[in-house]
Amino acid sequence: MKRTLIASAVAALVSLSSAAYADVVKFGIIAPFSGPFAVWGTQFKDAVEAFQKLNGKTVNGHEVQIVWRDEGAGDASKSRQFAEELILREKVNVLGGFALTPDALAVAEVISESKTPTIILNAATSVVTRKSPYFIRVSMTVAQYISPLGAWATKNGVKSAYVMVSDYAPGHDAEGEFISGFEKTGGKIVGKDRIPLNVTDFAPYMERALQSKADGLFIFAPAGAPSVAMVREFERRGLKKAGMKLMGSGEMQEIFLPSFGDSIIGAISSTHYTESNQRPENIAFRRVLNEVNKDAVPDMASIAAWDAMGLVYSTVKSLGPKFTGDQAIDFMKAQTINSPRGPVKFDPKERDIIQNVYVREVKKVDGKLINVDISTTENVRDPWKDNNPNAK
Amino acid sequence: MTQFLTILLDGTSYGMVLFIISVGLTVTMGLMRVVNLAHGAFAMIGGYIATVLVLKLGVPFLLATVLAAIAAGILGGLAEITVYRPLYRKGELPQVLLTIGLCFVAIAALTFFVGPTPLPAIVPAWLDQMVDIGFRLYPAYRLFLIVVGGLLAFIVWLIIERSLFGARLRAAVDDPQMARSVGMDVSRMFTITFVGGCALAGFGGAVGAGVLPLEPFYALRYLVYFLIVVAVGGMGSFRGSLVAALAIGIIDTAGRYTVPQFGGFLLYLLVFALLLWRPNGLLPPKSVA
Repeated sequence: MKRTLIASAVAALVSLSSAAYADVVKFGIIAPFSGPFAVWGTQFKDAVEAFQKLNGKTVNGHEVQIVWRDEGAGDASKSRQFAEELILREKVNVLGGFALTPDALAVAEVISESKTPTIILNAATSVVTRKSPYFIRVSMTVAQYISPLGAWATKNGVKSAYVMVSDYAPGHDAEGEFISGFEKTGGKIVGKDRIPLNVTDFAPYMERALQSKADGLFIFAPAGAPSVAMVREFERRGLKKAGMKLMGSGEMQEIFLPSFGDSIIGAISSTHYTESNQRPENIAFRRVLNEVNKDAVPDMASIAAWDAMGLVYSTVKSLGPKFTGDQAIDFMKAQTINSPRGPVKFDPKERDIIQNVYVREVKKVDGKLINVDISTTENVRDPWKDNNPNAK
Repeated sequence: MTQFLTILLDGTSYGMVLFIISVGLTVTMGLMRVVNLAHGAFAMIGGYIATVLVLKLGVPFLLATVLAAIAAGILGGLAEITVYRPLYRKGELPQVLLTIGLCFVAIAALTFFVGPTPLPAIVPAWLDQMVDIGFRLYPAYRLFLIVVGGLLAFIVWLIIERSLFGARLRAAVDDPQMARSVGMDVSRMFTITFVGGCALAGFGGAVGAGVLPLEPFYALRYLVYFLIVVAVGGMGSFRGSLVAALAIGIIDTAGRYTVPQFGGFLLYLLVFALLLWRPNGLLPPKSVA
């Protein structure tokens, strides 16, 4: 008792004295700026710059400095190397980034040893936050944002569905989550395909789906070229004309809609961020984002970077520029954020995000293709964590 | 039967895109033994140019693809004179390194100037619809690819098999040393072929954008397929590349339709077996046969 008293008194003194000086707080972000995943790095950076434009580069006089590292073409070993460099040489106070799950997994050991609080900006596999007590996730998990979709489908006239996912871990997560929600509410799965990641021509798969005569098609593919090719083939082959409902998630983000053209109208998707929602936070976010880069369209990546910056700023505001990893993580996981995507909080045990999930439909509003919310599920936890309480 | 014909059409249209893009690579690799890994980059650049022309300047689709082919050809010619020529005597490793480097330059440049997201499709409305072909409704775009690919194959066949230039070209591919010693200007011939190959690649990138979506990583993403066409067809063989491209398209499509869980591997297994059986490809020219 006595020892903790002294410790907290010392801590209080330290934080008092340090508040008097202007310090630099470093936030190191590891993300791909080149290679096939470059879109993530670009989105992170625009959002971070927008955040600093709106909120300034200092918190209580302490400068918040962002140190960027380009890990290139999804190279997990590089991610680890940069984490070591950022922690040892740059002495960053907070680490973040990681577009893909392997990038995040690769740094788990390093951040546990150095006790560096680490904010995951994308990497969406459920298990990640269990790999180190210093991880906290502001993005999403695949199971989380797919979970309401199956039940929505059965309630809205889709009685039978064909399931088509890319053959990799997030694809399997999405497939499992959709099927479980769909079957639990009385839907019938008439067929499913797992498509190898190197496939470029989706004609044969769409042909199979067409022959199945299902009411709906659920797809999941990595954002970018594969999902664009998949959706285009859906349209061109006349599955829409045959009355099939297209359901997906990240494929139909606003940033990708211009790649499809008007035939995408009516497509359903389920995600945690509707880009054109009218919350005042979102309107402000989009405004500054476009001041930084006039062509920028916000997506899941930019919203995560924006909220991560919010977490870092409020940590510095409350704890001052000097904090231990445990202090920072304990503080961050207790926060609730009024995010442009909607209310956000964290599961304190899992350090994983709890947020609303929106089922949206693509519509044309004022000559522009956007997603419009048609159903909201509030405070969705990651279902995988509840189904696998002890998995590591 | 309907299914069989559908697979055949899907596979043929896909194969035609591979053929248009790869035929130039086949001939140049056969002629100069240059390992040109940047070939996909020319297809990508052609596709990007066509997309910008259609979306930003309102150029009609067909004209845009022809302009893209011309631009890719000019760019290929410049690259041949400045970058490729010093490479011919340098051996394979420097060629591989330099041409893969060119790929990365093209990827970085397009990411920087146009952005990392995939480009919108430029397939015009008159192609983006279903037509009745007797036994089913079928996408007009794919029929268009088959017709265009067939036409191009015929033209290239005329040039290679029926013209004086073609006769010289075949002679040079079969025995470059002898061709030189009888007074043929093989390096000029190569420049012309290279320009033609790049133009075809650019055209293929533009018309095939509906099958192979354009994005900065295009140059590497589809390179494996282009190289398989060359390896399976036999370096330098025009007929070989047509047969190989169509076979790859049809086998890949049939595999994925009938056994989707193994579909991605079936093609590679077949290529593996085929190259064990005929290491120089299906229809190799005499110089390597």
